Amino acid sequence: MLSPDEAAQLIEAIAARQDRAAFASLFRHYAPRVKAFLMRGGTDAETAQEVAQEALIIVWRKAASFDRSRASAATWIYTIARNKRIDLARRAARPAIETEDWLAVFAPEEADADKSVLAGQTYTRVKELLGGLSADQLVVIKKAFFEDKTHTVIAEELKLPLGTVKSRIRLALGRLREALEKEQS
Amino acid sequence: MNHPAPEELLLDYAAGASAPGPGLAVALHVALDPAARRTVEQLGAVAGALIEAEAEATADEAALTDAALQRMLSRLDGLAVEPKPAPYTPRPGFQWAPAPLARHLDPQAQWHRAVGGFEEIRLRLPGDSHRVSLLRLEPGRGLPRHRHVGNEYTVVLQGGYTDATGNYGVGDFAVGPGAEQHEPIADPGDPCIALIVLEKPIVLTGPFGRWFNPLVRSGLI
Repeated sequence: MLSPDEAAQLIEAIAARQDRAAFASLFRHYAPRVKAFLMRGGTDAETAQEVAQEALIIVWRKAASFDRSRASAATWIYTIARNKRIDLARRAARPAIETEDWLAVFAPEEADADKSVLAGQTYTRVKELLGGLSADQLVVIKKAFFEDKTHTVIAEELKLPLGTVKSRIRLALGRLREALEKEQS
Repeated sequence: MNHPAPEELLLDYAAGASAPGPGLAVALHVALDPAARRTVEQLGAVAGALIEAEAEATADEAALTDAALQRMLSRLDGLAVEPKPAPYTPRPGFQWAPAPLARHLDPQAQWHRAVGGFEEIRLRLPGDSHRVSLLRLEPGRGLPRHRHVGNEYTVVLQGGYTDATGNYGVGDFAVGPGAEQHEPIADPGDPCIALIVLEKPIVLTGPFGRWFNPLVRSGLI
């Protein structure tokens, strides 16, 4: 296992001195997890493997852009893998599009932007918080992240009125926010 | 911030599921609104936790990973770690443009006077059928009265505007009022600049404007 601090140090070691051993540790930890995560959303094993590998290559190239005060290693790697998956999907179906916009969110460039207070949060804690959501709420959140679907598509697939899906999302986010912010204060 | 983006749109965005046009609208709102950014960061933490929650690899999977790792390590030889990118600086005349907009702005982009007394820069987002535009309205000027047949997303980037639903300032996000007609008027001060993303062309409803609808539908204006 890697702690959030250890994972951040590995990315920083790549940025500071092109540390191949650090890359190997990150790859061993994250490549299989990213692959498993993508397969949960219905991506086939071969594509999931390719996306995971290419995502870790981007981690190497962009290591200097990583800022642990803004996002954890896992969140950053998730964002990269998600964009890589979008790129691959578009290559197949639609013209290519810039996806770095989405990446930029986790590294806003404004000097005065407030630092993320979540970066150091342990995953165990966020996992516990997810466990506190109702099954109805959790299924919507998971479909969004695993299957890369908009709330409109999720509503159609679950055969639910759009308003029901919206209120589940708002309730889930409200709970997460309340719990995370109570902890920080 | 008086008018935040609906949270389901923040979830679409954080999950990378938004179409490019609405995704750009949310990206600009997130760039300008610390509360929206916090929400997206919280959603990012959830995604990170979901990745981290995947089980340790089985022995077979670990062997596969090691074989892939050897191929990746040999690829790294020719692959430099890129230097940290310079902080974004808006170009002259576009100081109001947040970073996520910059890549979509053509270096030659210029305001064009549109029918109805406002100025427009059309943005082309590959792979998206939304009509995406920057609009600039002088103080006190309005858009022609119109109604929407599809979703509309608006983010204010400079100045502000007021319509029957309220007053919108920099960073505020508006979701199209459905079939109701509205008539936004730019507030006093700097000209109002906003990104507008339309799912379908608007329908002009004023006594004069409605004659232009065939041109609007065909995308000519």
